[in-house]
Amino acid sequence: MPDTTEHNRGTATADALEPPLSEKQGAVAMKGARLSYPTPEGEIEVLQGVDLVVTPGEIVAVTGPSGSGKSSLIAVIGGLEVPSGGTTCVLGLDMMTAGEQARTRLRRRDIGVVFQSYHLVPAMTALQNVALPLILAGESSAEDRAAALLKRVGLEHRLTHRPSALSGGEQQRVAIARAFVVGPRLILADEPTGNLDQRTGQVVADTMFSLARDTGAAMLLVTHDPALADRCDRTVAIDGGRIVS
Amino acid sequence: MAVMRDGDLTPGILLTLLRAELAAGIYGLRLFIACVAIATAMLGAVWMLGDGLSRSLERSGSAILGGDIAVSVVNAPLDESLVARIAENGTLSRVAELRTSATAKGVRAPVEMKGVDAAYPLYGKLVLAEGSMADFQAAASDRRPGALVERELLARFGAAVGDPIRLGQTEFIIRGVIETEPDRLSAGRFLVGPRIIVGLKDLPGTGLLAFGSLVDFRYRLKVPDGSDIQAALLDLRNLTPEGGWELETPKDAGDRVRRTVDHTTTFLGAAGIVALAVGLAGAWAAANVWVSRRSRTIALYRLSGATPAVVVALHGMVIAIAAAAGMAFGFAVATVTTVVLMDIVSARLQLLWHVETLAIPALQVAGVLVLGLAGASSAALSGAAHLSPGAAMRSGDAPLSSHPRHLAFGAAAMAGAVALAIFSLPIPGLAAAAAAGLVLAAAVLGLCGWVLARFAMRRQPRGFVGRVAMHGLAIPGAVATKAVAIGIGIAGVTAIIAAQNSLEVSLRAELPERIPDLVLLDIQPHQVEMVRARIDGDPGLGDLQASPFMRATILKVNGVPAEEALRLPGKSWVIEGDRSFAWSAAPTGAELLAGEWWPEDYSGPPVVSAEEDVQEAFDLKPGDRLTYSVLGRTFTSEVANIRKEYHRTFRPEFLLVASPQPFREAPHSWVMSLEGNTDDSVDALIRDLAATAPNVTSIDIRKIVTRVIEVIDGAVLASLAVAATLLAAGALSLASVVAADVDARRREALAFVLIGASRMEVAMARLGEAACVGALAAVLGGIAGQAGGYWLVQQALRVDWSPGAVSIVLPLLLGVLSALAAGAAGGLGAVPRGRGQVARLLTS
Repeated sequence: MPDTTEHNRGTATADALEPPLSEKQGAVAMKGARLSYPTPEGEIEVLQGVDLVVTPGEIVAVTGPSGSGKSSLIAVIGGLEVPSGGTTCVLGLDMMTAGEQARTRLRRRDIGVVFQSYHLVPAMTALQNVALPLILAGESSAEDRAAALLKRVGLEHRLTHRPSALSGGEQQRVAIARAFVVGPRLILADEPTGNLDQRTGQVVADTMFSLARDTGAAMLLVTHDPALADRCDRTVAIDGGRIVS
Repeated sequence: MAVMRDGDLTPGILLTLLRAELAAGIYGLRLFIACVAIATAMLGAVWMLGDGLSRSLERSGSAILGGDIAVSVVNAPLDESLVARIAENGTLSRVAELRTSATAKGVRAPVEMKGVDAAYPLYGKLVLAEGSMADFQAAASDRRPGALVERELLARFGAAVGDPIRLGQTEFIIRGVIETEPDRLSAGRFLVGPRIIVGLKDLPGTGLLAFGSLVDFRYRLKVPDGSDIQAALLDLRNLTPEGGWELETPKDAGDRVRRTVDHTTTFLGAAGIVALAVGLAGAWAAANVWVSRRSRTIALYRLSGATPAVVVALHGMVIAIAAAAGMAFGFAVATVTTVVLMDIVSARLQLLWHVETLAIPALQVAGVLVLGLAGASSAALSGAAHLSPGAAMRSGDAPLSSHPRHLAFGAAAMAGAVALAIFSLPIPGLAAAAAAGLVLAAAVLGLCGWVLARFAMRRQPRGFVGRVAMHGLAIPGAVATKAVAIGIGIAGVTAIIAAQNSLEVSLRAELPERIPDLVLLDIQPHQVEMVRARIDGDPGLGDLQASPFMRATILKVNGVPAEEALRLPGKSWVIEGDRSFAWSAAPTGAELLAGEWWPEDYSGPPVVSAEEDVQEAFDLKPGDRLTYSVLGRTFTSEVANIRKEYHRTFRPEFLLVASPQPFREAPHSWVMSLEGNTDDSVDALIRDLAATAPNVTSIDIRKIVTRVIEVIDGAVLASLAVAATLLAAGALSLASVVAADVDARRREALAFVLIGASRMEVAMARLGEAACVGALAAVLGGIAGQAGGYWLVQQALRVDWSPGAVSIVLPLLLGVLSALAAGAAGGLGAVPRGRGQVARLLTS
C-alpha cells in the first residue's frame, strides 16, 4: 500500500488565530466534555462531562447501550458537532474554539470516519468514492492511489461499481478505504460491522485493524461486539453521556 | 394498528385509518395542494370567464341588437310607407343615433345621443341608477323634455338629476342616470362620448337632424311569439330599398363581439392549459415525493397485515382530500377573479349575467381536474401498492417502483385532461397547437437534459466541486426532469411576455406620431369658411384637414351584387351597412397604389378612389365599376385609383372618395381635424365653437388617446398577471422536483462533510450543477417561449412580431433564479446545519 500519511504528518491543523495545543495531550484529549442540543421537548444534554484520552496509534473500543451518547461522542471528536462545554482537543486542535474551516481541514487531512450505514455517495463508483478525499486534498494521482487502496481491501474487481451494486460488506470496505486513503492520524468508526453478518464483519474488522496498525493511526471504535472490543488496546464504557469505566 | 388480512378493505377500517392519518395532518402534501390550487385557479378563471362571456353574449344577442331583426340606414329615415310595411311583421321600435355635443353648467362635451320611441327597448331593460322612466317619459310642467344620461356625463358637467342640459336648440331636463343600456353594443363602433337618451319625438326640435347629418336610423322588429323569424327576415329582404340598408339578426350582433371574446379566451385559455399541464406535472412529482417519504410508514402498514388494496385506498383518500382542498382554494380564487372581471366587462359591454351561470363551467373544470389528478397520483399510488414490507427495515426513503401499466394510465389521464381543456376552448385548433408546442418543448428539454447527463457521465473534472457537480448532473433522469420543470415555466412566461410586448408595440405603433388633437364633426357647408378662418387666425392651431363627410353603401361590383363579388370573407365589413364616403377635387394626400387621380376641374360622371380595403375585398383594379348608394340615390362609377390605407390615424378615413360632381351640391356635413400647439388654444376653440356653432361636435382626441393608452396598460397588466401565475406554477413544479431528491442530497452532503468537504465546497458544487440545468432550461425554454410567442402573435393576436428585449433577458434571468432556488433547496440547505443536526443524521 502506498504511504498516504507523509504529506501531513506533524502539520498543525489549526488556523493561525487558533494556536495548536501540544500533541502530548494525545490524539484525543477530553476533559468534562459536554454536548447539548435543542429538541422539540427542550434542550437535552447527550454528553454530560466526558473524560477521555486516546494516545497516538492507540485503538480504543467504546461500548455502551443505545442512546448512551456513543455516536455523539464520535460527532464531537470528528468536529461534526461543537461541544457545549468542557475541553475537547483533537490532534492538537481545541474543538470548542476552532472555527468551522479549521475543523473541516482537520477532518479532511487527519481524520477518517466509518459508520454503520456506510454514507457512500450513491451516484459515484467505488473508485470515485475513495478518490474523493484525495481530490479534496488536491492530490493529482487520486484515482491511482484510490485504486491501490481498494486493491488492499480486496475490491480491485469492484472499482467501477456503484454502491447499489455492492454487498453490505463491500460497501463497508469501500467506506474503510475512503477513511484511510488520505493517511489520517485518527480513525473514528461507529459500529462498522453492525449491519454485517459475522463472517463479513470479521473480514471488515480485520481490514480496519490491519490498516490502523500499518499506518499508526489512532482509532476510536464504537461497538456492541465484545469480541471486537477485545481486539482493541483498551475499552471504555459510556452510559448516560458519561464514561463509566 | 389493526391487523388486516385480505378482504379487510372495509369502510370502517379505512375510516379509522384515515382519521388517524388526517389527525397527523396533510402538511406533507402541501406542494401537491399548491400545484392543484394554482392549476385550478388559472384554468377555472379562464374557463369560467370565457364561458360566462360567451353565454352572456348568446343570451344578450336580441338585447344587443334591440330586436329579432334590425334594419339601419344613415343620413335619412326610411320612407314611412316602408316603415309601415316592416311593422306588419311584428312590434316595431325606432331609434336614431348621432354624435353631437351637449352643454350643461357652462361646460360642453361630446356625447353619443340616442332618440328612442315608447316601444324601446324591445328586449332587455333600460336600468336607471337614479330617476325614473315615468319622469323621463312625462314632459315637465314647463314642457321641457326629459333626458337620461350616463353618470360619467354628470361628473363631467358637475350636474345632477333635475338640472337642464342643452342639445342643439333644445333644453332638456336630466331625468335619470343610465345604469344599463341593453343595446349599447348595437352601434358596433367606438363611442366617443357618454350616452344620452332622449325621446325620439323630441329629436327634430333640436335641429340636429338636418338632411345630410350623420344620423343612424334603426328600426327594430320584435316578431310575435310563435311566429317564424325567418319568414319575417325573408319579407324584409324582399323590401330592401334601392339604396340598400343594413339588415341584422341577433347572431350578427353577438358574433361581432364574440370574435374578440373568442380570441381573448383562446389566448388566455392557452395560458390556462400551460398552467394545467405544469400544475399536473408538479402534482405528479409532489405525490411521488409524499409517498416516497412515507415508504417506511407504508411498509409498517404492510408488516401489520394491510393489503396493497388497503394501502392504495387509504393513500388515495388522503390524496383526494388534499386535491379537494387545493381545488377548493383554486376555485375560490378563480370565482372571485371571474366575478370581478365579469362585473367590469359586463358593465363595459352592458351585458347581463348571473353568478349562478358559473356553475356549469366550474363543474367542467372540476371534471377535467379530477381526471388529470387521477392520472397525476396514479404513479404514486402504484408505487405505494408495490412497496415491499421489507422497506420498513431499511433506512432512508425507499425508491418507488410503479407498474408500467399504471404509469401509462397516469400519463393518458393527464393527456386526456389537457385534451378536454383544449376542446372546451372556442378555437380548439389554436389551443391544440399551443398544447402540441408545449409537448414538443417538454420533449426537447427532456432530450437535451438526457444528452447533458450523458455528457456529464463522461467528464471527470480534477477538482472536488467540478467532479461533484458533474456527478449530480449524471444522475439518470434528474437533469431531464428539472430541465422540463424549469424550462416549461420559462417557455410559458417568455411566450406571454413576447406576445404581450408585440401587442403593446403594435397598439402603441398605431398611435401615430402626429395625432390630431381635435376632430370637428357636423360642420355645415356654410360654416366651413367661418371655422377655417377661426383656426387659421390662431397661431396655436394648425395642420387643418377638412373633408366632406357622407356615408355610402356598396351595392355591386362590375354589376355583380357585392355579397357575391366578395373575394375575402374577412373584409365583409366593407359591405356591411354604410361606410365613410367623401368627395374631393384634389388628391387626399394618401399614396396611390394604382391608377391616377382625376383632374381638379373634372366635371364628368363621378369616378371613385377606393381604399386598399375595398380593393382587397373585391380584388379591385382601376377601370372596374362600383355601384353604391349615397343619400338614397344609386350611382355607378368607374374606379380611378386605389389609395393606401393608414390605420388609426385618428383622422377621418374614407373608404370611397368620389369626384366632386354631383355630390358637391348634395346636403352633407364636413369634418375637420387639426393639431394644437398648446392645450389652451384647443380648449379655446372648443369653447368658441360651442357658442358660435352649437351644431358642431368637437371630439377631443387627446382624451380618447388617454383612454386608449389606459386600455393598453390594462392589457399589459393582465398579461403580466397571467405570466406571473405561470411563473408560480413553474416554481411549484420545480419545488416538487427538487423536493423529490432533497433527502438523498442531504445524505450525500453528509458523506461529503464526513470526508472533510466544507459547506462552501458542497454549496458551490450544487450551485454549479443547478446553474447547468438553469442555463439549459433558460436557453431552450427561452427559444421555445419565443417560438410560442411568435405563433401566438401570428395566429391569435395577428399583430407584428416584436418580442422586445425583456423576453430575451427574462428567460436567462429566470433560469439563473431557478438555478439559485433549486441550488439553495437541494444543495445549500442539504448540508446539515445547526446543533445536533449531524448527530441526528448519523444515527438515523
